[in-house]
Amino acid sequence: MIQIKGLSFLYNDSKEPALNNINLQIGEGEFVGIVGPTGAGKSTLALCLNGVIPHFLHGEFYGEVKVDGKDTVENDCARIAYSVGSVFQDPEAQIVSTRVEDEIAFGLENLNIPRIEIAARIKESLEMTGISDLRDYSTTQLSGGQKQRVAIASAIALRPKILVLDEPTSELDPKGSLDIFNTLQKLNKEYSITIVVIEQKIQLLTEYCSRLVVMEKGSVLLDGPTRNVLANQEILQKIGVNSSPVTRLAYMLKKEGLYQGEFPINVEEAYLVVSKVLSEKRR
Amino acid sequence: MPAMVEYIQTDSFFHRLNPITKILWTFAVLIISFLFNSPIPILVILLSNLLIALASGIIKQVLPMMKALFIFSFILILCQIFFVDEGKTLFYAIPYFNIGKVTDAGLNMSLVMSFRMVATVSTIPILMMTTPMTDMVVVLVEKLKIPFKYAFMFITALRFIPTLMGEIEQIMQAQMSRGYNSDTRNPFKKMVIVIPLAIPLLVSSIKKTEKMAISMEARGFASGPRSYFRKIVMGKADYAALVLLLTAILSPALL
Amino acid sequence: MIRLNNLCYQYKNGNKVLKNLNIHIKSGEFVAIIGQNGAGKTTLLKQLNGLLKPSQGTINVCGLDAAKTKTSILAKKIGFLFQNPDHQIFCATVYEEIAFGLKNLGISHEDIEGLVNRAAQRVGIDQYLKTDPFSLSKGQRQRVALASVLAMETDVLVLDEPTTGQDYSEGLEIMEIVKDLNKRGKTVIIVTHDMELVAQYAKRVIVLQKGSVLEDGPTEMVLGREESLALSNLQPPQAYLLAKKFHKQGFFKDVYRVEEMLDEIISYLDGEENACNG
Ligand SMILES: Nc1ncnc2c1ncn2[C@@H]1O[C@H](COP(=O)(O)OP(=O)(O)OP(=O)(O)O)[C@@H](O)[C@H]1O
Ligand SMILES: Nc1ncnc2c1ncn2[C@@H]1O[C@H](COP(=O)(O)OP(=O)(O)OP(=O)(O)O)[C@@H](O)[C@H]1O
Ligand SMILES: [Mg+2]
Ligand SMILES: [Mg+2]
Repeated sequence: MIQIKGLSFLYNDSKEPALNNINLQIGEGEFVGIVGPTGAGKSTLALCLNGVIPHFLHGEFYGEVKVDGKDTVENDCARIAYSVGSVFQDPEAQIVSTRVEDEIAFGLENLNIPRIEIAARIKESLEMTGISDLRDYSTTQLSGGQKQRVAIASAIALRPKILVLDEPTSELDPKGSLDIFNTLQKLNKEYSITIVVIEQKIQLLTEYCSRLVVMEKGSVLLDGPTRNVLANQEILQKIGVNSSPVTRLAYMLKKEGLYQGEFPINVEEAYLVVSKVLSEKRR
Repeated sequence: MPAMVEYIQTDSFFHRLNPITKILWTFAVLIISFLFNSPIPILVILLSNLLIALASGIIKQVLPMMKALFIFSFILILCQIFFVDEGKTLFYAIPYFNIGKVTDAGLNMSLVMSFRMVATVSTIPILMMTTPMTDMVVVLVEKLKIPFKYAFMFITALRFIPTLMGEIEQIMQAQMSRGYNSDTRNPFKKMVIVIPLAIPLLVSSIKKTEKMAISMEARGFASGPRSYFRKIVMGKADYAALVLLLTAILSPALL
Repeated sequence: MIRLNNLCYQYKNGNKVLKNLNIHIKSGEFVAIIGQNGAGKTTLLKQLNGLLKPSQGTINVCGLDAAKTKTSILAKKIGFLFQNPDHQIFCATVYEEIAFGLKNLGISHEDIEGLVNRAAQRVGIDQYLKTDPFSLSKGQRQRVALASVLAMETDVLVLDEPTTGQDYSEGLEIMEIVKDLNKRGKTVIIVTHDMELVAQYAKRVIVLQKGSVLEDGPTEMVLGREESLALSNLQPPQAYLLAKKFHKQGFFKDVYRVEEMLDEIISYLDGEENACNG
């Protein structure tokens, strides 16, 4: 679904490349999480997937990016939009309408979706993002998190083949973040939408993504099934990428020589791990 | 305090009217104000604008704008009134030296001009505050057959001033939060503060517009045939309003 | 230091966002304000530095009546970090951005340079001092905004989601800086959705729910109020949930950080060994 070959990108008037020889293949129906420190090039990569780079933001572009079989250099943004839906990192700057309902309808209208279908999709995506009561609100009178939900709702309403989300839950409360990931999972399972999500909340990534990509300084440092990537705790701790507290606990237990084995990713698994540690010593 | 001339959501008679009716209303106000040449009828129109604003629940936003318009027109009047020679002399601005003659014709003309300006210009913010931008785009495209891209550009241009105002507000908030005395009441001091900001303001507004363009394009804007979610129809109230407007336009001829 | 009495706030469009708030924050406190999206957290913070004026009630900040005092005056006492860094950044270079507030405090040119460098170094953006902030990544811009607030060394720090867009260790770095300032006597008021950070740093937590105070008390107490948290779309930290699973078996007291949990496990194991030995 997504093929990236030898992608490098250098922003105009900047010295270091923001992306450095990236190679990634993402298949249909995958649910991929991307993490990395600030300035690692995560957003730059996302902008390469929806064609904003090189069509709007300029610089030196090397390599090849293909989404849904379309080369992003040869096809313009609007054409790519038929395949790729995007949530940008700054929700505020991406809102174009004055009313919440119109904002969600905007993309659907552009794709020439019939009126009845639009109404159904607006309703559904508002429900999925938990903002049904904001439907008639003016978009300038929303809180930060509410704006972010509107941005997500307008992207998922499009039901594209690929969804690229750049820190979609950065301003959301914990339950809201969880709801969004549940929604993404549902879209992924029911419509086999390929999902690429940049996210700092590693707890969510570990529970929902099947594959994790760790970026640092413009390169892909680790890439693989979530658990395999998490097993590299030393590397992750070194570059400062978070793990869930419970994963960290297991790592600390391991360092103390109290535990060997897989790292837990949620409280339930951690319960088993700690029980094991406690009982082993007891024997 | 975001953009000044932004759509304000309330449920009022005027909000529910078809955008076309409202656009015709702005034209009607324009026509009528130019048909009359005495201040009283134009003042009546002006009051009717205020009444509409009051009924639409946007009077709080409209009044300061009207005030600004009046100040502006007052300055214009000052520039002209003393140069009108015909008519009876009413009084002198500086009586003892007979400087600054004001005649009845001059006063009449000034009042007409000033009321006319306030009446016609104030319809635009009222229109914008009571009509969602998208509704406006829809009627421009579907009813008036203007190509979508141009209709959208037109509306966005109309919104540029409010965006700019919002941006100024935001930067001033950022400044005063860090101890810069930009929250002064003195308009001249405020000017001194805003002028050096002109360039960064323009830059950041352009960047904002650019981001908006990216966001539009990334959602398939202008990529081919388009559908419309909102269906806008003429209701009974619209026809009633149109009849009213027509009578108002014809009334000078009847009188 | 900060005292709100029956404070209410209503936006122009009629939204009643803050309802009858009574909050008293003493000098040197470290307070986290949490609550679901749209609860009114940002609106409340903006009352503190006078960007919004209360519709009813009184608010006193550092001895000033915030309802009547200009923001630019309150700013000398209160550093304010906006939720979105782009609401705050307007200068052409990172250096100017950080220097802006210092100039308004009347600090001399020579001193400003040192202070700017130090603030930039602290948050790790010193290599970007000559860069246009708009060509930085969002997380980097967030740090620029933070540096420009921290540099002013005001008595009170009001930070609206200072760690968004930062990864785990970067978030910790920022909180360490804030903690350090708090140790030196600054009052810190912070809004965040990150419960792990709240557990680790805040001494007092206020839960805001639909414009009213739902909980207000020491961190340990409030983070244990599961129903209140759930009502506000929040969750206790993982360590707490994990420890609780063991309560039935009579293990562990309430813990909020996994580091504490580790200590508990180790002391338990040691205790057991001792028991065997003895
Ligand atoms: N418009 C731009 N012009 C020049 N340089 C840029 C621009 N945008 C980003 N950069 C630089 O490119 C690098 C990668 O930025 P990017 O936004 O991709 O980082 P990121 O991983 O998304 O970080 P964050 O977590 O902070 O969002 C950074 O060093 C940044 O300074
Ligand atoms: N300018 C405004 N005009 C009218 N209502 C507003 C305005 N700004 C915010 N609101 C409303 O006030 C309520 C509280 O907003 P506020 O920004 O204080 O929330 P918050 O707790 O900071 O939420 P978040 O976590 O999403 O940032 C929300 O319901 C929002 O819709
Ligand atoms: Mg980014
Ligand atoms: Mg907020």
